[in-house]
Amino acid sequence: MLYEFSYLAPRSVADLVQALDEHKDDGKFLAGGTDLLPNIRNGLMRPRFVIDGKKVPGADALNGGATEGLSMGPAVSINDLLRSPFVREQYPVLCVCAHELASHQIRNRATVAGNVVNASPCSDMAPALLCLGATALLRSAGGERELAFKDFFTGVKKTALKPGEYLERIVIPAASKGARGSYKKLKRIAGHDLGIVGVLMVRLGDSLRFAVSSAAPTPVLVESVTAKDSPEEAVAKVLAAVSPISDVRGTKEYREHMIGVYVRRLLAEVK
Amino acid sequence: MRIKLTVNGLLYERDCSEHHTLLRFLREELGLTGTKEGCGMGECGACTVIFNGKAVNSCMMLAAEADGAVIHTIEGEASGPTLSAIQASFEKHHAVQCGFCTPGMVMSVKELLSNKPKPSTEEIKDAVEGNFCRCTGYVQIIEAVSELTGANEKGELEHV
Ligand code: FES
Ligand code: FES
Repeated sequence: MLYEFSYLAPRSVADLVQALDEHKDDGKFLAGGTDLLPNIRNGLMRPRFVIDGKKVPGADALNGGATEGLSMGPAVSINDLLRSPFVREQYPVLCVCAHELASHQIRNRATVAGNVVNASPCSDMAPALLCLGATALLRSAGGERELAFKDFFTGVKKTALKPGEYLERIVIPAASKGARGSYKKLKRIAGHDLGIVGVLMVRLGDSLRFAVSSAAPTPVLVESVTAKDSPEEAVAKVLAAVSPISDVRGTKEYREHMIGVYVRRLLAEVK
Repeated sequence: MRIKLTVNGLLYERDCSEHHTLLRFLREELGLTGTKEGCGMGECGACTVIFNGKAVNSCMMLAAEADGAVIHTIEGEASGPTLSAIQASFEKHHAVQCGFCTPGMVMSVKELLSNKPKPSTEEIKDAVEGNFCRCTGYVQIIEAVSELTGANEKGELEHV
């Protein structure tokens, strides 16, 4: 990379929040780096300090037990989820989405936290976290706060994170254990690609949830569909919640049409 | 910044520029030019190395992040003139044409076989999904791996 910056690798939470606080304006948090480093290379971001959050003890912890839910630190990679027998058994929806994300090498580096903090409308992990009712624990030098992922995404590549704050843990409630679901992602090629549109459906007991990616400024959660709705009613409710645009990857009409196709297929598939 | 890392079994201690990628460090500081840069942004997999047991794109990591890491590159495969088993099978099946993708491809396959000694065709495809090859059409690569590990349970190779 031609562009020069300094690399900081704090070894404790206290040092990390201090570094983030000192470099609110000219620092960037580094997790997996699979978005940040290409962005720097392409001149889209010009941080003077790159602050590695992976060297803090516990950053890569992926904890879950019989009674608690699941909690993961900012260094947990997409493939860490796929490799975890606990996640595969208890939270299969996370794996369904994780497997659709990019390529094997990228999944080895890219983190769940990074995927949601980037807040791309086409994020593959955001639909899973939204449908599973996950919350974010945010930390800064000023302290800690908790926020539901429903309220986390505020716009295209914008989140509720304040300058100097970072996503310390992602927590998925025990109540979402055993939720089943399927994720349909429309891509131009069979291999790794950004989605043209994606629809996740999750069923937990009698409740249904849909989340749609690449169809609005943020990933969208739809909780209004009930088990009694006909497929047409379900499609109408999901479409009412999104606002797709036409861009290089597809038109608005194509996206809307495919959302309808996917919602119908998912209703038939996720029993 | 001073970093220490093990590459292909040798311990190196070097100064690295904090803004340099691991790829650039391997090629320019250690002279290990077997690992290639194609796109420089995670699309092609030519830069794949094994980092602490996992295949990663070395173009999307900083050298500084590799402090303390154990890395394998294509240079660690052959011993003298003797090819590694993966390399020999690639050669036999014409899985190498221009060769630009090969170092990365071999690293992805090596990681796969370290976890799954007898992968299915699907698993092979998944493992090399992030490695672009513009020459072979992939079939020879899959055949090279399948023959090396013994026919997988699904039998016949389907075309990609
Ligand atoms: S050079 Fe790293 S993925 Fe293309
Ligand atoms: S052999 Fe030429 S790109 Fe694969």
